[in-house]
Amino acid sequence: MKKKSLNSLELLAYQPNRYPFLMIDFVTEVIPGKMANGYKNFTNNEWFFPIHFPGHPNVPGALQLEALAQMLTVAITTLPGNKGKATHAISHTVRFRREILPGEKLEIETKVLSWKRGLCKGLGKGIVNGEIACEAEMVITIPEILDQFIPKK
Amino acid sequence: MKEKLIDKYNKVFIKSFKVKKENLKKLKYESIQQWDSVGHMSMIGMLEDAFNITLEMDDIIDFSSYEYGKKILKKYKIKI
Repeated sequence: MKKKSLNSLELLAYQPNRYPFLMIDFVTEVIPGKMANGYKNFTNNEWFFPIHFPGHPNVPGALQLEALAQMLTVAITTLPGNKGKATHAISHTVRFRREILPGEKLEIETKVLSWKRGLCKGLGKGIVNGEIACEAEMVITIPEILDQFIPKK
Repeated sequence: MKEKLIDKYNKVFIKSFKVKKENLKKLKYESIQQWDSVGHMSMIGMLEDAFNITLEMDDIIDFSSYEYGKKILKKYKIKI
């Protein structure tokens, strides 16, 4: 599959989340079915900084994980026939290593380990200033595809 | 020593669904929490890797129990 990049508008066709829950800004490189890399800039204007936490703003871990999962999703939804399809999270194992503060840029790298019949297993890594901030093993699905293969009741 | 086919088959279920060997015979789709749609697809994937086969779509759908799975594998020349 050919490499491509998706700007902030183009990626909306492959990632159904919207403000305030869209956690990726730009896809710098995607090879459908294999990998997707990109970034998210966290400015002072993010909706969660005033509440997480007052006096010590930092990016919630759940949203860091969401950023990784959204990027991995793009690696799958860019495959032929998957554009616009809904995805669900199945299981994520995540490790947080560093706080992400207002003004920092999260570089996101994701890799598909397997994609078969609507089920994707993959890895994601979030990097800030050259340091790993978070990393996760993720399983996501496209239910519309997965459901075609399950035994009938 | 070469692993017996039944042991290889059992191992897939034991690993996929975290069940004991003595409970395998009565195992059916959705009879336990772990054998749901996602568990089904993971188990099928492990089975394909273990026996180096690719199951057809209809066989994946029909694969609704531990016992019936043995019949399906016969189509792929795997006699358990």
